[in-house]
Amino acid sequence: MIALRGVSLTYPNGVRALEDVDLEVAKGAFVFLVGHSGTGKSSLLKLLYKEIVPTRGQVHVDNIRVDTLKRRKIPYLRRNVGVVFQDFKLLSHKTVWENVAFALQVTGAATKDVMRQVPRALDLVGLSHKARMFPGELSGGEQQRAAIARALVNNPKILLCDEPTGNLDPVNTTEIMELLMRINLKGTTVLVATHNQAVVDRMRRRVVRLEDGRILSDEERGFYVRGLGQSQVLSG
Amino acid sequence: MDWGKVKFFLGEVFANFSRNAGMQLTAIGTVCVTIVMLGAFLYTRETVASLGNGILNKIEIAVYLDDSVSDTDAKKLGDQFASDPRVSSAQYVPKKEGLRRMHDVLGRDFDLSLLTANPFPNAYHVRVKNPDLVPQVAAHIAKIHGVAKADYAADTVTKLLKVSDTLGRVGLVMIGLLVLTAAIIIANTIRLTVFARRREIAIMQLVGATNGYIRGPFIMEGMVAGLTGALAAIGVLFLARWQVLPKLTSALAFVPFHANEPLIAGELLGVGAAVGFIAAWISVGRYLRT
Repeated sequence: MIALRGVSLTYPNGVRALEDVDLEVAKGAFVFLVGHSGTGKSSLLKLLYKEIVPTRGQVHVDNIRVDTLKRRKIPYLRRNVGVVFQDFKLLSHKTVWENVAFALQVTGAATKDVMRQVPRALDLVGLSHKARMFPGELSGGEQQRAAIARALVNNPKILLCDEPTGNLDPVNTTEIMELLMRINLKGTTVLVATHNQAVVDRMRRRVVRLEDGRILSDEERGFYVRGLGQSQVLSG
Repeated sequence: MDWGKVKFFLGEVFANFSRNAGMQLTAIGTVCVTIVMLGAFLYTRETVASLGNGILNKIEIAVYLDDSVSDTDAKKLGDQFASDPRVSSAQYVPKKEGLRRMHDVLGRDFDLSLLTANPFPNAYHVRVKNPDLVPQVAAHIAKIHGVAKADYAADTVTKLLKVSDTLGRVGLVMIGLLVLTAAIIIANTIRLTVFARRREIAIMQLVGATNGYIRGPFIMEGMVAGLTGALAAIGVLFLARWQVLPKLTSALAFVPFHANEPLIAGELLGVGAAVGFIAAWISVGRYLRT
């Protein structure tokens, strides 16, 4: 589903975000990207929806060569890749329903599709009863649910989460992670960048550890700390 | 027709407008002023053009006879003028007729009772087949015995046309600059809206909206601003037409005030929409590329 081959990324200001990264993620997988801030987790996710372009190497997403993808085709890639952020990025002047519907409307979806898909997405994240509320009237956890609903309303094959629980308390964090699990069980490939040790240790999923832009370890059923899980193919 | 989509699109356009109502009014005002001037210019140009053409086509040599020439001799002179192969017609205009015609042209503003004697000499209006030969024919006629003067307005007309041409060019440059100003103000207004809505735009890009789709509401916003300005301008111009034109017509009796008004109105609306469209396109395009 996702493949990075020899990917390096140097920002124009000279900062080296990624160094010779190789990574394969199978369809339907659930993967944690861990590492300190500034180790390239966010950069790696951004490569997958072509927010940024690698300096070197290849990026494949759902059989599409992303690094060389033409600019005008990027929107169609992004309809297959849902993205969730730490700060939710909801529109404060729109209701939950409108925020979720927005993602469909701006891709030119027919009204009947909007009317069918939005309730489904809200139901999935458990926010149907708050559809008419504005983001400011919701708790952080609820706002993140709304953001997840928006990311999923297009039925993307991949869901990328960049520190999805970074702004949440432990209770909400658990709920959001359970929601991501349920989404994964329905067949969506999920990548979660986080430095929340408790989350990673409880879930026991594949853990890819980044340090200084390189993949330090890649373990199945791993822990936040390196070496406690089953070793997988190490790259680099 | 998917009315839900239409409603969403119009909602986005309206949201754009309401974000920057003050700036939008400035933009619309600028477009309005520009287009009023453009409209007045087009109207004047058409009037001057038809005035000039009318004069050129009707160009005549006014042949004034000596007061000593008798009516019979005058008749003979007329036959002589008409026999010239270059001349198409020679119409006799006796003094009384000359005075009456002047009265017809100037209308009630010309008070006949002020005159103690008829100042008009007997005259012929000689038309020449080819306007280019007017100077030649006039020179020839002037030498004929009994002719006091052979006058023609060709010089005046060409000078007039040259002047109006120069003025037209200067006007066009000024209007070009005004249109540019209007476009820049619209572009800046749109840029402010784009800036105010950058979060929405970022999310649109994130969820896979095409650039064309993102541009849509902004382009519409620019066109609405341009069209509104043009409509306001057309309103002002029509007001001017009702209030000012009758006064001008009576003051400048010989000028045939005339223009194809629906065509000009259409052109002005087109200019307004085009300015808005282009300005918005450039403004959003620059944002989306970076």
